[in-house]
Amino acid sequence: MPRRNTLVLIAILIIFALCLLVVLPLEKGVLGERGVRLGLDLVGGVHLVYQAQFSDNVTAADKSAAIERALLTIRKRIDTYGVTEPLIQSLGEDRIVVELPGFTDINAAKKLVEQTGFLEFREVELNEAGKPVYLSDYLADSVNDFFDKKETANRIFVNEETEEGYGNPVAFLVKDAGNLKFTDANGNSIDKETLKQGTTQLLSWIPARGSNGAQLTGAYLAEAEPTISQQVGSTEPQVSIKWNDEGGIMFDEIAKRLYYAGEYGTPQRALGIFLDNALISAPQILEQAYQGSGVITGNFTLEEAENLANLLKSGALPVQLKRPPLYQEQISATLGADFIDMSIKAGLIGLILVMLFMCVYYRLPGVLASLALVFYGVVVLAIFKLWPVTLSLAGLGGFIVSIGMAVDANVLIFERMKEEFRAGRTLGAAIEAGFNRAWSAIRDSNVTTIIACIILIWLGSSAIASSVVMGFAITLMIGVIISMFTAITVTRTFLRLFVGGRLASRTSLFSAKWGEK
Amino acid sequence: MVDIIGKRFWFFLVSGVLILASIISLATVGLKPGIEFNSGSMLTVRFEAQVDYTQFNQEIAKLGYEDAIIQRTSTGDFLIRTHELTDEEKAQIETTLTAEFGRLSEAQFSSVSPQVAAETARNAAIAVIIAMVGILIYVTFAFRRMPGAFRYGTSAIVALVHDTLVTAGIFSVLGAILGWEINLMFITGILAIVGYSINNTIVVFDRIRENQTKGISTDFQNVVNSSVVQTLGRSLNTTITTLITVLALLLFVGATIQNFVVVLLIGLIVGTFDSVLVAPGLLVVWSKGEWGRFIGRRLVTSGEAKGV
Repeated sequence: MPRRNTLVLIAILIIFALCLLVVLPLEKGVLGERGVRLGLDLVGGVHLVYQAQFSDNVTAADKSAAIERALLTIRKRIDTYGVTEPLIQSLGEDRIVVELPGFTDINAAKKLVEQTGFLEFREVELNEAGKPVYLSDYLADSVNDFFDKKETANRIFVNEETEEGYGNPVAFLVKDAGNLKFTDANGNSIDKETLKQGTTQLLSWIPARGSNGAQLTGAYLAEAEPTISQQVGSTEPQVSIKWNDEGGIMFDEIAKRLYYAGEYGTPQRALGIFLDNALISAPQILEQAYQGSGVITGNFTLEEAENLANLLKSGALPVQLKRPPLYQEQISATLGADFIDMSIKAGLIGLILVMLFMCVYYRLPGVLASLALVFYGVVVLAIFKLWPVTLSLAGLGGFIVSIGMAVDANVLIFERMKEEFRAGRTLGAAIEAGFNRAWSAIRDSNVTTIIACIILIWLGSSAIASSVVMGFAITLMIGVIISMFTAITVTRTFLRLFVGGRLASRTSLFSAKWGEK
Repeated sequence: MVDIIGKRFWFFLVSGVLILASIISLATVGLKPGIEFNSGSMLTVRFEAQVDYTQFNQEIAKLGYEDAIIQRTSTGDFLIRTHELTDEEKAQIETTLTAEFGRLSEAQFSSVSPQVAAETARNAAIAVIIAMVGILIYVTFAFRRMPGAFRYGTSAIVALVHDTLVTAGIFSVLGAILGWEINLMFITGILAIVGYSINNTIVVFDRIRENQTKGISTDFQNVVNSSVVQTLGRSLNTTITTLITVLALLLFVGATIQNFVVVLLIGLIVGTFDSVLVAPGLLVVWSKGEWGRFIGRRLVTSGEAKGV
């Protein structure tokens, strides 16, 4: 038995050393960047949960594919900002969670994620006489069909220079069950009378299509870079774009058609560049062919040009996200830092007090149990780091509860040992009996806890509470499993070292009441 | 040996009063749901200059947020709690406040939609209920060799429900006085209480199982009483060590996890009471078939106790 005990002790020490290696180096802190990953509620940052909007007839497979592509797109956009360890993942079948640790501007974060980034090219609708069609033409009571009957896609009317800026959509015109219908951006109908009260001299924009019938969109882009205009006397930031092969051909076809559609300066010759239904700019076509490249201008600041280029490079979101997000949270980093400091302090003080209590009340076994508790703490931290478990506030709660249970296992054993002592057993017999008798209680109470944890983790589906509940359950489960090992194996191995030694005869070290009944 | 279980009807009386009071408190005062459960927005702003609370209040009211709850935090920030804000509404609040009080920074912002709020409350409830069923099944299994194994599981669950109910009840009273809202940390606290409560109960039940198997007495009440007395030291020590940790948290960490710590404090004390005194008593009542005489017997017991 002693020989086996020595082997177990060596194994314990090796495990301890390995875990210590994982948890250290300390210079960067046990927690935080290099240590255990901390949840947003501890380090600060932005937390967003979005609902993707699908129409009713989308299949589950299509939904999940669209969500996957959306996650990729969002990741690309966020990567350009250099956020450390962003979390971008799906939640349930149609939700997206974005967590950006250390990100302090929630508005910028939302814009980055929400913006659909759908770039499309449009041209002005022409009537049979080759003249531009305006909103006023469609508002006439006699009109109940498109002027350009070949083009059946929606028409967009955008505002002119107003307080809200320029180029924002005023109305969309769609054909619904054979009738023309005006709607707003969300698909709600707009009454003709309402529109008549505003400006009606607004151009009707229809998709610009290549000879293959496909609309020219951002999907045909190969590159997009922010640049400065090369024209003499101008330092206007702009976005230079390069088409892929197919896009280049389509663009030239459209350019050639518009070039001959009207005089320079007329709407017929303008190419409308639309981003998420808003007109960015409507440059005049100056050449018949552009050899696959071009620029997007639009009174940008340099930052706006950079953002647009990034947006175009990352591609359009394949699915609309509902605004505002289902859940949004911004936690300041200072709150997090103070909090971590305080909770480490609280944790240490609590731990030291518990150890003191154990040492005073249970003497030598208490000291050994305290050592086992240190072992427990290091092993759990190492597992958190290797797993890796993201430690949130709730996770911290689970950790604290698991410490309580680790202590409880030792208390159970020592109480049993004391009883055996009082019955007059020797140290060795008391230790073995104490552990054996306490085992069933430790097993049943811990297994019950583990079962509850597994159920909580398993139920963590699509709600916000789930991350809290799961965080709690995961740390508690890890803690309870490790505590069963430390309380039983580690403490017992330490105690056995004393069996047969000189200290073993000094029973006051183990219990003040030896032999009393 | 101290006769604890003999006084079980006293404990039931205390329990009954606590539960009744908790139900009344929960039904009348209730728990004030935070935005996680009720939807809405919470915005904490920090000003560079000193800002007067009354003035701040007026400014928010002028913007049309009469329903907003405004608190001044210990660090001098202002917390505005109102219905779910759109981006435009939030921007408007911030511009107005900047115009009035000077530069501000957004210390914290969170917003929860009604849809998510409803799910949060529902999912948390479902999780706890299914976890309880899991516990019931395991405990019944673990005590399968005992006569009436199902009673152990059921009594454990009763103790657990008792514990969460009374904790929530006391919290609702405190909340009404101190204006606390329940948030996700409250849920974490309740989960922790569930964990502790079940632990405590099972330790006592385990001792009953052991003593019953050993056959220390033919009277089940004696067996239960001995088991409770034998485990009393452990029960108290575990509660004390856990309370130490929780108190350390309360003293040093402060408001952020106040909900969690307060729930733990109440729950630990209530939980020790019901695991040690109520749940084992319930087993005895069940095995003796005292259900029918519950009321009458209680009166007799109280009469006896007075006589002693």
